[in-house]
Amino acid sequence: MIQYLFIGLILIGMYGLLTQKNLIKIIVALNVLEVGVNLFIISTGYVKDGIAPILFSGAKTNVGNFVDPLPQALVLTAIVIGVGVTALALTVVRKLYEKYGTLELDEMGSEKND
Amino acid sequence: MKRLIAILLVGVLGFFIFTNLYSEGNGKVFPKFGEVKISERVSDKFVKKNVNGNVTTVEYKVTKDAESGSANMVTSIVVNYRSFDTLGEVTVLFVSALGVGLLLSGKSRMKFKTPPNFILKAAVRVVAGIILITGVYIFIHGHLTPGGGFPGGSMIASAILLFYISDDEFKTKVKAFKFLEGTAGSLYLIFGLLGLTMGGYFLYNFIPTGVVGELLSAGIVPIVYIFVGLKVGSELSNLISDFLSEEGK
Amino acid sequence: MINPVLLIAIPLLFAFLSVMFKKADKGLLTIAIFFNLIGAFLLKETEVIIGGWKPPFGINLVADQYSIFGLIVLNIVFALTVFASFSSVKKYSTVLLVSLASLNGLLLTGDLFNLFVFLEIASISGYILSTMTKKYKGTFNYIVLGALGSNLYLLGLIILYATVGTLNMADMATKVPMINNNVLLLALTFIFAGFAVEAKLIPFNGWVKNVYGNVNDLSGGIFSSAYSTAFILVFGRIFTEVFQLSETLKVVFLTISVLTFIFAEAAAFEQKNIRKILAYSSVAQAGLAATLLLFGFKEIAMMQILNNSLAKVVMFTIAGGIYLATGTDNLDKLNGLFKKQFLLGLGFTISAMSLIGLPIFYGFYVKILSLTSIMKSGNYIVPILILLAALIEGVYYIRMLVKLWNPKDGEVTGLKVEKCIKYALLGVIVGAFIIYISINPQFVTEGMINYLSKIAGGM
Repeated sequence: MIQYLFIGLILIGMYGLLTQKNLIKIIVALNVLEVGVNLFIISTGYVKDGIAPILFSGAKTNVGNFVDPLPQALVLTAIVIGVGVTALALTVVRKLYEKYGTLELDEMGSEKND
Repeated sequence: MKRLIAILLVGVLGFFIFTNLYSEGNGKVFPKFGEVKISERVSDKFVKKNVNGNVTTVEYKVTKDAESGSANMVTSIVVNYRSFDTLGEVTVLFVSALGVGLLLSGKSRMKFKTPPNFILKAAVRVVAGIILITGVYIFIHGHLTPGGGFPGGSMIASAILLFYISDDEFKTKVKAFKFLEGTAGSLYLIFGLLGLTMGGYFLYNFIPTGVVGELLSAGIVPIVYIFVGLKVGSELSNLISDFLSEEGK
Repeated sequence: MINPVLLIAIPLLFAFLSVMFKKADKGLLTIAIFFNLIGAFLLKETEVIIGGWKPPFGINLVADQYSIFGLIVLNIVFALTVFASFSSVKKYSTVLLVSLASLNGLLLTGDLFNLFVFLEIASISGYILSTMTKKYKGTFNYIVLGALGSNLYLLGLIILYATVGTLNMADMATKVPMINNNVLLLALTFIFAGFAVEAKLIPFNGWVKNVYGNVNDLSGGIFSSAYSTAFILVFGRIFTEVFQLSETLKVVFLTISVLTFIFAEAAAFEQKNIRKILAYSSVAQAGLAATLLLFGFKEIAMMQILNNSLAKVVMFTIAGGIYLATGTDNLDKLNGLFKKQFLLGLGFTISAMSLIGLPIFYGFYVKILSLTSIMKSGNYIVPILILLAALIEGVYYIRMLVKLWNPKDGEVTGLKVEKCIKYALLGVIVGAFIIYISINPQFVTEGMINYLSKIAGGM
């Protein structure tokens, strides 16, 4: 079943978040997780032999075997949100790089507190 | 060692997901892939377009004044049935673009190490116009064909990105884009408030929906999608110019 | 009577306008805050539909007693924070407007996916606000954990949608009993984990130390009062009204919340910096409120949240102000600061005493009420743990106050907070209100019930 693959992607993303120390890699892991979640959402709307939920000439709403359009609408929202968060995270990474000159979390040391 | 623990943790989580998600037994279980019954979900009514009445069928290019007049059902959910989510979604992009602008407030444009070559420059001149027009086409036809404001807006931004890559001196007028972004966002909200005054509900579709499948149909849906397209396009272009800016000089 | 959707739409509209009219942004912020403040008091119990699509198909906003209470507290503390630290607003007024709209939306929405959208808007504006002091490591931590949490929430939500086919909260509440136990267990675990990030529960609260510990006066007040109030109230709505927890799940979640406040109090005890102490104390208070909510004592939890957000808005704003003015918030360097600046210390001290629940203060009343209620329900371990936590909390707060008021060893600090009058004013006003409700706790409980029943009947 293809759904297993999507859950697998989520798990790969989790593994990346747990192990990676490079800031860019952490964001990549986050995006892998996000893609997994989005694909999983899409997959919950799939109907066997279904067609895209768009009316075309000759089609009627009560006979067509349309797939569930709601998960697709939700995914649209989720993707846009993901883009926003990723853009912000990359900006913060750039700021961190300007400050410490490295992308490795280990080499930064703790932030000074006074 | 750390990796081993991580693998173990992820394995446990995966086992937890698989055993519980696909379990059989009492009560409603998670439907297997492809065995979804839409008739048991709220989206059934979105497909049949009869949330507010007992419309039996809606036919392409025949039915007039359906409750949601867009042929693309995803669009009818995104900009009509759940338009409030889309407003939030637009706000997410708005606020993150704003945050990037606040953090990277460089004035001058970053120069590439290797200057763009002739082929790139010439190709972009040919391609960018087509991309821009396609983007506009996509968000104007969002209620009829796949696509809509978000893909259309991203295409516009990709044309801007091409300009940035092909020309070292190119710099968009950030201020103009900010103005466009603010106007489009405000107009979206003002249309929502107009619905509140004219129909009694926020984001109410107060324009007749017309015949399903025609370009001028679906009431406020195409109008809102044009706002969304312009807003997304200008926001993403702003993001690009912020990322390519550097301080000093 | 006011349409609750305006509480979201007006700040949002002003946010879009403030990008176009850069010069008027602070004016727009002020107008929107006043509008929301008045609007929250004018709200009546009602349910509004968005777009004319009846639930569960469309999105609806629910203004019941719970959310009206939350809105009143939220908008008051938001206004107090912004006006007390208006000089720190600078370029951030648009972000503040968006976060005000989203926090109002969080409390009002009656749709689970719409909740996710507002959660994201609120957290993204939170990420931006946390960069105010340029400590980007904390922000990065916050972004990663926040994004992970929201994805987990979305995953849990979609499992529920695929199973029963609805996203509306009220509709979901009726359909939850039909779901298979294992599927429900999985979905609720994900939703709880997602909320645990923003509600600051173990093990997802790693970001709090760096974000709350590095705030200035403005972001400190916003985070510790407005954000925590909204998020913990939404947590309560999800886990008391929408989902009925099974016994096992309830025990697991309760254990997590209890562990949260125990560990947080222990960690706060170790700290030397005022804002770090307050950060851990915020985590502990969130754990306590979550415990009360999971036990089902919604009213007591609401009082607890009110007490916390009133106290924290003063303490965090003053702590952030001290940091801004002196460049440090280390207790050793601030020996006897309040001795020199009496007014600044007054509100801070009253707030701290109410927070730890010293007798005659409002916190004491709340604490006694929560202890007796939990004991009445037949549980004796949790009250003992709460008492233990309160003891630790009392010790470190008193230690902090003694150091700030009356240094036994070492000389009095040479540092001074300039222009402290606005913080002092905030402290005195909120302090006076805390004293008033301490003498007169019925003002909150009965007053609110009367007020709410009156407006409900007055429709």
